[in-house]
Amino acid sequence: MKKVKVLIGNYGSGKSELALNFATQAAARGEKTELIDLDMVNTYFRLTERGKMVEQKEIRLVSPNFACGGIETLSLPAEVASAFVLDWDTVIFDVGGDDAGSTALGRYHKDFMELEPGSLEVLNVVNIRRPLASTLEKITILQEKMQIHSRLQITGMVNNTNLATMTSVNELRDGYELLKEVSEQTGIPVAYTTGKKEFLDAFLAENPDPKYVGTPIAIDMFMHRDWDSFIKYGLNTTNPKKEIY
Amino acid sequence: MALTLMKGSEAIAEAAIRAGARYFFGYPITPQTEIPEYMSARMPEVGGCFLQAESEVAAINMVYGAGGTGARVITSSSSPGVSLKQEGISYCAGANVPCVIINVMRGGPGLGNIQASQGDYFQGTKGGGNGDYHLLTFAPSSVQEFIDLMMVAYDKAEYYRIPVLFLADGIIAQMMEPVELPEMVDFKIDPEKKPWACTGWQPGDDPEKRGIINSIYIDTESLAVHNDELQAMYKTVIENEQQWEEFNCEGADYIITAFGTVARIAKSAITELKAQGINVGLIRPITVWPFPYDAIKKVVAQDSVKAVLDVELNEGQMLEDVKLAIGGAKDVDFFGHCGSQMPTTDEIVAKILSMKEGK
Repeated sequence: MKKVKVLIGNYGSGKSELALNFATQAAARGEKTELIDLDMVNTYFRLTERGKMVEQKEIRLVSPNFACGGIETLSLPAEVASAFVLDWDTVIFDVGGDDAGSTALGRYHKDFMELEPGSLEVLNVVNIRRPLASTLEKITILQEKMQIHSRLQITGMVNNTNLATMTSVNELRDGYELLKEVSEQTGIPVAYTTGKKEFLDAFLAENPDPKYVGTPIAIDMFMHRDWDSFIKYGLNTTNPKKEIY
Repeated sequence: MALTLMKGSEAIAEAAIRAGARYFFGYPITPQTEIPEYMSARMPEVGGCFLQAESEVAAINMVYGAGGTGARVITSSSSPGVSLKQEGISYCAGANVPCVIINVMRGGPGLGNIQASQGDYFQGTKGGGNGDYHLLTFAPSSVQEFIDLMMVAYDKAEYYRIPVLFLADGIIAQMMEPVELPEMVDFKIDPEKKPWACTGWQPGDDPEKRGIINSIYIDTESLAVHNDELQAMYKTVIENEQQWEEFNCEGADYIITAFGTVARIAKSAITELKAQGINVGLIRPITVWPFPYDAIKKVVAQDSVKAVLDVELNEGQMLEDVKLAIGGAKDVDFFGHCGSQMPTTDEIVAKILSMKEGK
């Protein structure tokens, strides 16, 4: 059965980072994988910036027209249809931030509804260290708005709480506590807990309730660039003089 | 105090609110649209006002009006949008209206592109609008420094009655870093402290207490008096408000001058050069107006300093002030890019090495 993961959530919650991780892990298992950059909002920090790496891992990448061309108006490519029509093992949608970004999914409502029951996962990626996703109220309000705009039901949350280079086990623990409350209130389960291996292991060693951890997945950093890697590789990957990751 | 993971734009907006800003007027433009976006969500929470104006021209005139009441007001834009605001900025400066203006610089001239740039140095420091005026102009080099400067910006703007400009490149607005936010300042408009502000004078009230916000002085003499007062104020700003950072300057063979994020890149180059046995210092203006001429002159005057390299994300704008500061005492070379290609550590290292070899 085709597995389709749709990643939505607050800006900067780590959707692209997770999309790259889910895709590379699926490809590494030998699955035929397609990755769809459906961010129609933000022109920067898109997974298409890591396009070369994605293709090297034999993942098919679909990007909006003009993505990374320094152009402010993005448009949906017709190739998104390939996600529904072609025979993939895994398809991952990396969607733009907030309800504004989720809106792009509404266009594919009919296609999503025609997927085999049980094949679709709609995941709300949450990083509670982001200011607009830091409380129960903020998370639930955004969750509700994203469901309306995307015309999809969120099937699970992802605890991806981190502080970039300053992350510690505290981030996952605090994320766990808050998402537990959100889950109890909304009935939406925590589907995954994600983080760098060292922090994830430390968190799991504290024996959290598996019900609010979901499937733990260790991730690598593909998207986020700290200052040192930024000045090595740069930000503007369309610059022909610079190496693309 | 807890750290939070914030994009530069969000941190700038939150810091302004915590510094007392309760009015945001603006018009979206990449790469700073996250500032109005954040403001639109946050201002109602603190009882403030977010208003998306119909244009940049409208937005800056709303700043002029709201600032004239003594409120803490902010607008933000990016290069082409800030060009549109210049008339209103000149009016604010002419009428001594304290306010904060943010320019997240992008590639130019004209529409340019949406990548980072430092191409508006001339516009920010030499007066983009008409008349003899200056803006207290900060050029932060990190998200945290932006926050910290924002927390004092309104106090300074109100003390001198001068508009404050932040010149930030797109990198600062777009990058995400863990930051520490200060506590909310308890700010209220105090008519006693701001006798100039328009706070609701009515016919019959004491005429002496009528605030008038104005930049028109029809007769020659009163305009001259007004300009003399402005210039006297600028003189005290020059005397008191210059800020800069010196890094590894003592006994350095070469001095790099740079501002904003480019200075942060230069620091990495300096560390690499040190490993190769070459001693290079950095002097980074934090205020680009008033420009720290004397500080640069003093550092460069050291016997050890052979030459100066100015690095910018433009074709050499601050370079002119650096040359003025040095007054021909030492050679000044330049390295930079326009078209929004960040100078890299390797490029700066290579440039210093070529200067050393006398190329």
